[in-house]
Amino acid sequence: MLPDPIDCVVVSYDSNTFIEENNFTESNRDDYNLKYVEAVNSSKLLNLVQFFNATEEIYAMETARSYMVSKRIKIIIAIPVDFSELIIWGYPGLIDCITDSSDIQKIQVNINAVYDSIKIFVSQNNLTPQFELNGFEEFTIPENYSSGYNNTIVLVLSFMIIGVGMVSTILIIVQEKPIARLLLTPVKRMEILLAKYITYISILIVQNISLVMTALSFGLYLVGTVFDLFLALFILGFAGLAIGIFISTLSKTKTQANQLFFATFLVLILLSGIFIPIEAMPIYLQAIAYVLPLSHGSPLITGIITKGKSVFGFDFFSLLGVSVVLVVLSFILFQRRKYEV
Amino acid sequence: MENPDISNNTMVLVENLDVVFGNKHIVHDVSFSVEEGEIIGMFGISGAGKTTIIRVLTCQIEKKNWNGNVLVTGLSPSKRGNHSKILSNIGYVPQLELLNLYFELDPIVNVEIFTSTYGMDKKKAIITAEKLFNILDIPKDTWKKRVKRMSGGEKKRLSMAIGLIHHPKVLFLDEPTTGVDASKRYDILSYLKKLNQQLNTTMFIITHDLEAALICDKSAILREGKLLEFDTPQNLINSLPSRGLVARISIENLNQEIIKTIQKYPSIEKVLRVGNETIEVLMEDFEDNLPKLMKFLFENELKVYSMSRDVANFRRYFQIRIQEEEEKENRKNRSELMNEGDSP
Repeated sequence: MLPDPIDCVVVSYDSNTFIEENNFTESNRDDYNLKYVEAVNSSKLLNLVQFFNATEEIYAMETARSYMVSKRIKIIIAIPVDFSELIIWGYPGLIDCITDSSDIQKIQVNINAVYDSIKIFVSQNNLTPQFELNGFEEFTIPENYSSGYNNTIVLVLSFMIIGVGMVSTILIIVQEKPIARLLLTPVKRMEILLAKYITYISILIVQNISLVMTALSFGLYLVGTVFDLFLALFILGFAGLAIGIFISTLSKTKTQANQLFFATFLVLILLSGIFIPIEAMPIYLQAIAYVLPLSHGSPLITGIITKGKSVFGFDFFSLLGVSVVLVVLSFILFQRRKYEV
Repeated sequence: MENPDISNNTMVLVENLDVVFGNKHIVHDVSFSVEEGEIIGMFGISGAGKTTIIRVLTCQIEKKNWNGNVLVTGLSPSKRGNHSKILSNIGYVPQLELLNLYFELDPIVNVEIFTSTYGMDKKKAIITAEKLFNILDIPKDTWKKRVKRMSGGEKKRLSMAIGLIHHPKVLFLDEPTTGVDASKRYDILSYLKKLNQQLNTTMFIITHDLEAALICDKSAILREGKLLEFDTPQNLINSLPSRGLVARISIENLNQEIIKTIQKYPSIEKVLRVGNETIEVLMEDFEDNLPKLMKFLFENELKVYSMSRDVANFRRYFQIRIQEEEEKENRKNRSELMNEGDSP
């Protein structure tokens, strides 16, 4: 089974006109770039999202890059200025390929897909298979920063923030005996749970500030803003709190809460897409994976750290949505929880 | 809805209370009232329905599960809208301190947590707490220590202080002397009396501990969800034959046969075995019948070690009353069985 085609754009800098060197007449012979586009369209490994003629659209590359930042595409294929001329004169053809390097595991997959399009192009046009593919990695970590640290911190921050959020809250309802007695005061159940959320959100804010400061002081390469990173960690931590409090309101005993925590955390990790790509999972597991917070946490943080993306995107709102659902469920469960003194 | 029949001083009014959970009829037609400043003891063995009644009074049981007219500080728990006001007017001291105290925090912080739920001013709450701590002899050096480091008795008293921190009109206490060693039980009871006298707080105690009747103005005796008695402990004791006068007699080789022999004496109302070789005897015309009873014992060649006369305490009254009820029920069951046997 073929993998899903990789979304790409082709930006062509190949000049529209060709000047005959013998008689200086102008003709329209720069058609190989369009033939290459046809080859891209024929490739089952690539999905051409858009073709830009950079000789007419001066912001073509900026637009293509913005597509990559917003995760619409994974590859930008750039056709250089004298692409057609080089092929006509019998020189090796040149293709520039810019891949999204924020997902290290997929760089080679992306390059292979571009090679596939070149193969088709050569075969369709009876050309000699002399092509050079210049690979450029977009969103790579500059040499003066540690790419190892940058790549690891994304995983560490995701796991840590959601894990700490869950661990600190799984027992707050199930273990706190005086809640039953507090309910014999004018205080409402909703107020008790709200107070818990406010307290743990305050702790989360302090925790996030220290995590961000520590990560930066250790030399984190951050393209996006500190505020965006903070917000991303906050929403991820909030999802952790929401899961923890949900488990606590759902459980009848401490043992049950602990077991539910381990089971949930295991599922979160396995379906996070960090160890097994979500695309490689069966459809029903993909559906579950996309609902779980960790599968959104890693792309969200990566996007901010390496691409400079704004926090307010699909991943953020997915996390917010999941958290809100869990918060509402925890309030309903707490309202129905039986307390007797 | 305010009840026009009750006085302004009535803190708790219960009329024809029935509590039913599914097929289980827990409380049957219970009625009583509690006046301001009284200490009420609700006694009964496990499953008598004491806790269920308290749960109705403290808005813990939904109206669909109970019927009857119930007013707590003039408000009915049947309306959800009244719950907040009722809970502001009452205090509650649970049986287990861990339900009432945050053990990892100090007493003052515990007080602050609970007073915040009543919307009390923090400074005033601390002043009240200090006053209560002093009445309850909670040592000053423990006020800033973690609760878990306090002794069992101190925790119990702190729990009481928290129950009273918002000046409730009625304080409900669930088994206040349970888990406290015998020597401290009387201390706890005397502290409750002290608080009642100094603060004029109405107290509602549910307990197995019959010694608690010592401080109660009225005692309620419950058995299997039915209220058997509700009166002052003294009136209840006075209702016994000869106003509760008992003869305590020790007899050599006391056994069931000997007890049956004694029960044959005509004026005997009750013979209770209170020890290996000791019985207590209640009879009509105690003064006249006691010498005759002794003569009867000698005539039946029973060797009497000792004989003393006393007045029954509440414990004895409770024992007699519960026994009476059990006998009544046994008779009823027997007659029902016989009727079933007679029927074709």
